[in-house]
Amino acid sequence: MAKIVVEHLKYRYPLTEELVLKDISFTIEPGEFIGIIGENNAGKSTLCQALVGIIPNFYKGAYGGKILIDEIEVAKQNVSDICRKVGIVFQNPFNQVTGSKLTVYEEIGFGLENMGLPRNEMIERIDYSLRLLDIYKYKDRNPFDLSGGQMQRMAIASIIAMRPEVIILDEPTSQLDPQGSDEVFRAVQSLSHEGITIIMVEHKMEKIAAYSDRIMLLQDGQIAAFDTPQKIFSMDDLDRYGVNAPAFTRICKSLNIKDEKTGCYPVTLKEAEDALSLSGKGGLRV
Amino acid sequence: MKSISLYQDKNTPVHKLDPLSKILYIVVANLIPVLLGNRIATMAFILISIVILTIGRVLKRTAPMLGFSGLVLITVVIIQGIFRQGNATPVLTLGSVVFYKEGLLFALNITLNVINILMSFSILVLTTKPSDMVETFVRLGLSPKIGYVMSSVFQIIPQMTETMATITDAQRSRGMETEGKLITRLKAFFPLISPVVMNSLITTRERAIALEVRGFDSTQKKSFLSELKKTRSDQIFKAALILVFILSLVGRVLMWLK
Amino acid sequence: MKKNSMWSLKLNTASLVLIPAAVGINYIGKLFAGALKLPLWLDSIGTILAACLAGPVVGALCGAINNIIYGFTLDPVSFIYAVSSVCIGVAAGILAYKGKIKGVVSAILSGLVIALVSTLISTPINIGMYGGQTGNLWGDALFTWCTASHLPIWLASGLDELVVDIPDKVAATLIAFGIFKALPKKLTILYKNDQEVESLD
Repeated sequence: MAKIVVEHLKYRYPLTEELVLKDISFTIEPGEFIGIIGENNAGKSTLCQALVGIIPNFYKGAYGGKILIDEIEVAKQNVSDICRKVGIVFQNPFNQVTGSKLTVYEEIGFGLENMGLPRNEMIERIDYSLRLLDIYKYKDRNPFDLSGGQMQRMAIASIIAMRPEVIILDEPTSQLDPQGSDEVFRAVQSLSHEGITIIMVEHKMEKIAAYSDRIMLLQDGQIAAFDTPQKIFSMDDLDRYGVNAPAFTRICKSLNIKDEKTGCYPVTLKEAEDALSLSGKGGLRV
Repeated sequence: MKSISLYQDKNTPVHKLDPLSKILYIVVANLIPVLLGNRIATMAFILISIVILTIGRVLKRTAPMLGFSGLVLITVVIIQGIFRQGNATPVLTLGSVVFYKEGLLFALNITLNVINILMSFSILVLTTKPSDMVETFVRLGLSPKIGYVMSSVFQIIPQMTETMATITDAQRSRGMETEGKLITRLKAFFPLISPVVMNSLITTRERAIALEVRGFDSTQKKSFLSELKKTRSDQIFKAALILVFILSLVGRVLMWLK
Repeated sequence: MKKNSMWSLKLNTASLVLIPAAVGINYIGKLFAGALKLPLWLDSIGTILAACLAGPVVGALCGAINNIIYGFTLDPVSFIYAVSSVCIGVAAGILAYKGKIKGVVSAILSGLVIALVSTLISTPINIGMYGGQTGNLWGDALFTWCTASHLPIWLASGLDELVVDIPDKVAATLIAFGIFKALPKKLTILYKNDQEVESLD
């Protein structure tokens, strides 16, 4: 499984003067679930695209430092080679549909055809992805006839079929309704159980806190903090970074209830429940 | 999603034919009349096309296309019949307007030729799924990237026209005039097409990135999810076509030698 | 910054994905012209715009694929006129590359050149297919008058096509130019194949 090492990453888009990524360094171990949070323009999407090589190879611009995935330098590879190791899913499900395939089934096979896989292996992988993302029943539908949530799950399935070791999701639920969002989060949970390294940019703090092993807080192109959800959301100056803590955390903060073991505030419903009942503070039932 | 192609999804022997066979037919059906230089060949092929279209149960669908060209053809008949250079033999007189034999025969040739082209192409267009056609060419060596571009146009255009309808409604509700004097209508064009173009270019960028992360730019030789189906009828059909073509070639040479 | 020749066949993904959008813009131009009842076809705006953005090779591909798609979705006769569309794309691409489409006046002049190219290629096809007519009311009226006045067929047919092409192509070029000028540089730079990654190390 691939280990991600980022060393002194810097980047500036063409025709601009400011660096969007200003000296970022971190390591991600195989199988980790990393959440990335931060206000708008903090560099979250840029970082995601840098991990797949889209930055710098698609946009060009000015690039410094290096990203090593399994000791291979990302910037020096073709995106079409890196995409076998690292997959990425974007916000807008519509724009990820190739448009050249008439069924969901064939659409998922698009990347596999590009990889030159033999037919029976393609069929196996497509079936697997369809079931993992719970869209098997739509396999014969036209990709454009799906709902937002279904389309996004198809996008994830298309990437998963390529069997990357790392999958990056850049705000995958921003353009979806609550039902679609839930469908995607459930899908992402299945993925993490498969042992794939997951990196997800999200604004829904409750979800990100529940799923992540570690959370990276970005601000102004730099890493402000990179730690467990408990430590991150227990920070006192979170609004300086333009983010809110999960609802449960905010409630516990105002009641000053901390998790005994970690000395941090609870970040999930379960933790909050436990902490509240332990503290016995005034008959609150969550 | 509504399809823009003229393809009719039916289960006939013609539908099952390889697109290449149909393309060969188009070449032969149009080349032989030119080779032999006579109207009988053209009419023969028009009849053969009609038969094939009937077997494919798509004959009725040629009507709109014929109607389209038909209007132009009628004007050709009129204009050539009356005004063609070298018109000498009057054939029909309507008041002060004279129709000449030379012009009318010329117009007849044109009409037969156009109908032959329409009918032979219709066989391809009405009974072949565009994605199958593109795949045939990619298997033969067409760059898969160009193949992708061709396949995607069929679905991307309906998406764009839907966006256009939304934008048009939005602009109209903001008070944009789309009727009236020519100048008014011309002025309406820009604010209608600009947002559509901007939107499609941004979409294009995101789609290009999405394609790249699925290995679009790979130099690896592409494989195919669908299976190749070759039928006996394809071989017979192609053989028959080639035979007829060779016979015509021979016939032409003989005529030339006489 | 090395400049790739304008005839480079190395097309980046962004330029390729531009082509369906350009054909779509052609389609929509045609629809709008019909809906607004303008006396123009306006079905080459996308081809010219794509040629301005990405060069003559992409322009040629747009033209070719445009007519192939029209052939499959509207009228099979379009297949035959594909050569004409290809040449329009090439002409627009060369003009744009050489910087000849920089302002309103140069856009009009370029439109005239494109109209001329279109006429030169389409006229022989018109003569072969329809005896010289174009199917356009005013053009064919002119053709009739020329033929009745015993002008040679190539002249009559050429004038027929020209009288239809000049307003259409000039308008299309102006519109394509207008759209091009309004596009942010961040978008137009994607189609230039000569950008390099700068090192910050």
